[in-house]
Amino acid sequence: MKKAAALALTVALVSSAQAADKLKVGWIYIGPAGDYGWTYAHDQARKEVEKTLGVENLIVESVPEAQAVPYIDQLVKQGAKVIFATSFGYGPSVKEAAKKYPDVIFGWATGVERGPNIANYMADFYQIYYLNGLIAGALTKSNKVGYVAAVPIPEVKRHINAFALGVAAANPKATVNVTWLKGFYDPNGAKEATESLIAQGVDAFAFTEDTPTVSQVADKKGLPSFGHYSPMLKYAPKTMASGQLVDWSIFYTDFLKKVQNGTYTAKNLQNVDYWQLLGDKAVMMGADEKTLINPVYKAKLQSVKVKTADLGTLSVYDLVLKRLAQMNKKKPTFDPFKGPIVDRKGKTVVTKGKIPSVKELTSMEWAAKNVVGSWPNEPK
Amino acid sequence: MDAENWLVGIIGRALAFGTPLLWAALGETYVERAGVVNLGMEGMMLVGALTGFAVTMATDNPALGILMAGVAGAVFSALHAFVTITLRANQYVSGLALTILGTGATGLIGKAYEGQPLLTTLENISVPVLKDIPILGPMLFTDQSVLTYLGVLIGVLLWLLLYKSRLGIMLRSAGENPKAVDAQGLNVTLIRYAAVIFGGFMAGIAGGFFSVAYRPSWTQGTTGGVGWIALAIVIFGRWNPMYVMLGSVFFGALYVLSFRLQEKLSPDLLNMMPYLFVILVLILTAIGKKGSGGVPEALGTPYRRGER
Repeated sequence: MKKAAALALTVALVSSAQAADKLKVGWIYIGPAGDYGWTYAHDQARKEVEKTLGVENLIVESVPEAQAVPYIDQLVKQGAKVIFATSFGYGPSVKEAAKKYPDVIFGWATGVERGPNIANYMADFYQIYYLNGLIAGALTKSNKVGYVAAVPIPEVKRHINAFALGVAAANPKATVNVTWLKGFYDPNGAKEATESLIAQGVDAFAFTEDTPTVSQVADKKGLPSFGHYSPMLKYAPKTMASGQLVDWSIFYTDFLKKVQNGTYTAKNLQNVDYWQLLGDKAVMMGADEKTLINPVYKAKLQSVKVKTADLGTLSVYDLVLKRLAQMNKKKPTFDPFKGPIVDRKGKTVVTKGKIPSVKELTSMEWAAKNVVGSWPNEPK
Repeated sequence: MDAENWLVGIIGRALAFGTPLLWAALGETYVERAGVVNLGMEGMMLVGALTGFAVTMATDNPALGILMAGVAGAVFSALHAFVTITLRANQYVSGLALTILGTGATGLIGKAYEGQPLLTTLENISVPVLKDIPILGPMLFTDQSVLTYLGVLIGVLLWLLLYKSRLGIMLRSAGENPKAVDAQGLNVTLIRYAAVIFGGFMAGIAGGFFSVAYRPSWTQGTTGGVGWIALAIVIFGRWNPMYVMLGSVFFGALYVLSFRLQEKLSPDLLNMMPYLFVILVLILTAIGKKGSGGVPEALGTPYRRGER
């Protein structure tokens, strides 16, 4: 008995000695890792880098956005040298903690401000939302497409607008009806918001919320939807038209490698801002990895023809594939936000021929012309 | 869409979202009537939700899943019964511990079920004949969960039992004046145990409703704080099953309206409504305390035999 205890102690000492050499990484999650959405996707990447880079991970889940500092204190106390805060709302906490711990490297996901020890990173879906919008515009019969939206911040607004521009390109008559949840993880709210949109006559759905709920509810009524963040096809096999998928490990692997080899330190992150798109392979279109567009809708999408300035008249199906190919490059030859764009108040928000900068994309507050519903902080 | 359709839609959805509130709050009503507070509602509901999901997935039998959700909730609540009735520990602390334990344990054990869709779920039904009644048919009897109908029936039954039966008198007395119950030769401990475990059973079913019927899937913390609203409904309903039923539908309607009225009112304000009403009810209850308050006299106090 005593021997076993002594052995256990030795093992513990050895493993902790080994652990001391490993880079310790702290992860602050906005929701539970089991949401099967945003946080799940980050956690999948976390597991990946644990395997491939041999880092040691410390995780805290469901951390309230405004109160992250005490959690960061804990992580630093436990030896974390790199801390990833995976939500926009952690901004103030990250900035405060970065001052307090100048030797710790901070990664702020979807962040908009850097510092010597704060890097920003984002794998963005706006291109894919546009493609999903093309499909939704072609599939709606009521000319009302629904969007269940999490929180009215620029990131979500950008996605709704990209989606709405896609809808408009395929179907100028259709509106995009938005309902806000005011939370990123709110499955019950997502259910009732979807029911409420169905009652308004909406018959196709996209969403920003961290569970498959919207697609499940739409599927019950036989209505098409677009998966978000994780391969959600299995939740709505007959109705999920397409969706957005992410591979956060592309960013995390690159970043942590550069920390391990000393390229990134707590002094030189001022300009480190990862903005990863289709061309970086950090994001993909599809209802799951194998299903770009659900075959159920192929014939319908092939029958709807649209006229474009650059590609002539073609079916929505072909248009989606062409646009995807144009954006699937390191230097995309198409951008959904290329001007001229007029917002729903009638103001020109992107001038003719111009493509908005990343900064403009990450501070977007206007609403596209065909968006219907409340829009907090809408420019006058 | 005209006003009539709009109202029908709201009430229909209010009943649907009110269903878990109803089951949970009816159970807690009996618990508190017997003199015990169980703040472990969220924990019990989550244990029920995970169990219901796991059993349904393994057996393809949603009815069994729901039943086992109730059983799991009951077993879990027995912990609270033991700690507060037998060991006479603080009921509020024990209840909160139950919530924390249930949330944590289901999060951990539930990992295996994340991202897995349920193939067989508890389907909604429409009641034949009744569904054809104008207005009331589509409002109350179309496309609702069987647990919604069953919940209302049980609510009526619990009301009858509470006010019109000997069992009801025993239960109420255990919450009002346990000493008197004891003096009559009845077992206060037994009554309270039964009530707490019954409450756990009802909370478990409320949780199972979420994971097997309402949005058939398991995600961590899937009940999302609904348990706390259920606790408030018990106070709102003055510990009377009839009012508790009305309260559940009312809070269900508030929740649904927070999505339907967004174009006219700020979503923030709408999200606040349920909680504002809870505070309002608490204030009103406090003002009208002595007399018709409805609070069981011995609520929250452990019973010790032979003590004065």
